Amino acid sequence: MIGYRAGTSPLHRAHPYTPLALASALLLAVFALGSPGAVGCAVLAAALLALTGNVLGYSARPALTLGLATWVLLLVLHGLLGPEPFAALGPVSVSEPGLRRALVLGGRLTAILLAFLTVLAVVSPARLVEAMTARGVPFARMYLLVSSLTLVPRMRARAALILEAQQCRGLRLGGSPLARVLALGPLVLPLVLGALAEVDEQVLALDARGAGLPGPRTALEPPADSALQRGLRWLGLALAAAAFAFRFAGHPL
Amino acid sequence: MTGGPPAPPPARSLSLRDLVVIRLGVAVNLVIGQIVAALLLPVFLDAVGTILVAALAGPRAAIIVGLTSQVLASVLSGNFAWLPFALVQVVIALYAWGAARLGAFRRLATALPAGLLLGALAGGTAAPIAYFVFGGATAGGVTAVTAALRVLGLPLPVAVATASISTDLLDKTIAFGLVCLILGSLPRHLAARFPGLAR
Repeated sequence: MIGYRAGTSPLHRAHPYTPLALASALLLAVFALGSPGAVGCAVLAAALLALTGNVLGYSARPALTLGLATWVLLLVLHGLLGPEPFAALGPVSVSEPGLRRALVLGGRLTAILLAFLTVLAVVSPARLVEAMTARGVPFARMYLLVSSLTLVPRMRARAALILEAQQCRGLRLGGSPLARVLALGPLVLPLVLGALAEVDEQVLALDARGAGLPGPRTALEPPADSALQRGLRWLGLALAAAAFAFRFAGHPL
Repeated sequence: MTGGPPAPPPARSLSLRDLVVIRLGVAVNLVIGQIVAALLLPVFLDAVGTILVAALAGPRAAIIVGLTSQVLASVLSGNFAWLPFALVQVVIALYAWGAARLGAFRRLATALPAGLLLGALAGGTAAPIAYFVFGGATAGGVTAVTAALRVLGLPLPVAVATASISTDLLDKTIAFGLVCLILGSLPRHLAARFPGLAR
């Protein structure tokens, strides 16, 4: 299960922007790294982040599951079907530059997955909203991110109901590809038209709560921040910028 | 039934109604995959909400739908590596707005070719991202086509571009057809809520 996992680790107690900034810095940095060794270090850094949050096992499992298919595809596309020269690796011959590229690309993906799954596990959505409110993030932006997440399960349940209802009315989900494309209409139209019919009601509800009013909102319990955390966030971003500087200077790490 | 809608309004600031419609577009982008999976169709249809909002509320709202969908899809799946494809959603939003202004959604006969063209455009935008960021190994079906083309002897960049564009052609044609049907099926009282659709 992907998502927040309550805990008391330093990352759980940190300001929500700190793990987010560190993961973002790692995401930027891995695209500046060009050797399997450097990308391996980035994977280790992501694992260290997960370890600090006490969620290494929790983040590593889905990271490996999500990344596995891409690793296999990369090894086939670049390792087996890559350019010459080839080298024998057990019973198969693999492209040397292709294998190196597959390791860099797969390592990048693994580092990104691990870092952001850690963020999802250690950052409480409620604390993130409080932090954003305290920083003056516009209501519209927060509403879209948080409220869309609550709407998705409701729409999924409605889609499942429509699917069952239309099947009861005789809609067949199988058959030729054309028949399946034509079946999209009776399934998608009621879902979207039904949701559009509720727009007015939701606009009124938002208006009644003062969502359209200008001015800052008050955070009830803003997460504590510190100079150390602010420094750490800037350091992460500075390291990512340095990795890019090395790359553009012709000395990729 | 109100028939085909007229051109949508030009860009303007976001209202509460836009905000609610954007949220709906995001949910459509994220949920429609469930229906596609039930029908075992080899497409994603993850931009129907973006295209719909472009026609209803303009380009700014549609771009927000595309970007928010990409971020939330990453949050829900845990796969943040897909974030660079947000650029494709921006291209889709702008193109769909332009197509709506030109009246492409009035009839299926114009919506389907317009969707086909978007497929080429979106596939062409996604291909460099798939090649440079992922080395061609993205979604399973697309990569299977890429691998098959590589086995046939095509260079990797060409194989990635061909696979990306060919899958997007079908995906975006169906998406445009669906949005055309949705807009054409809007009851008069609902269509009147959107200035661009009111007659």
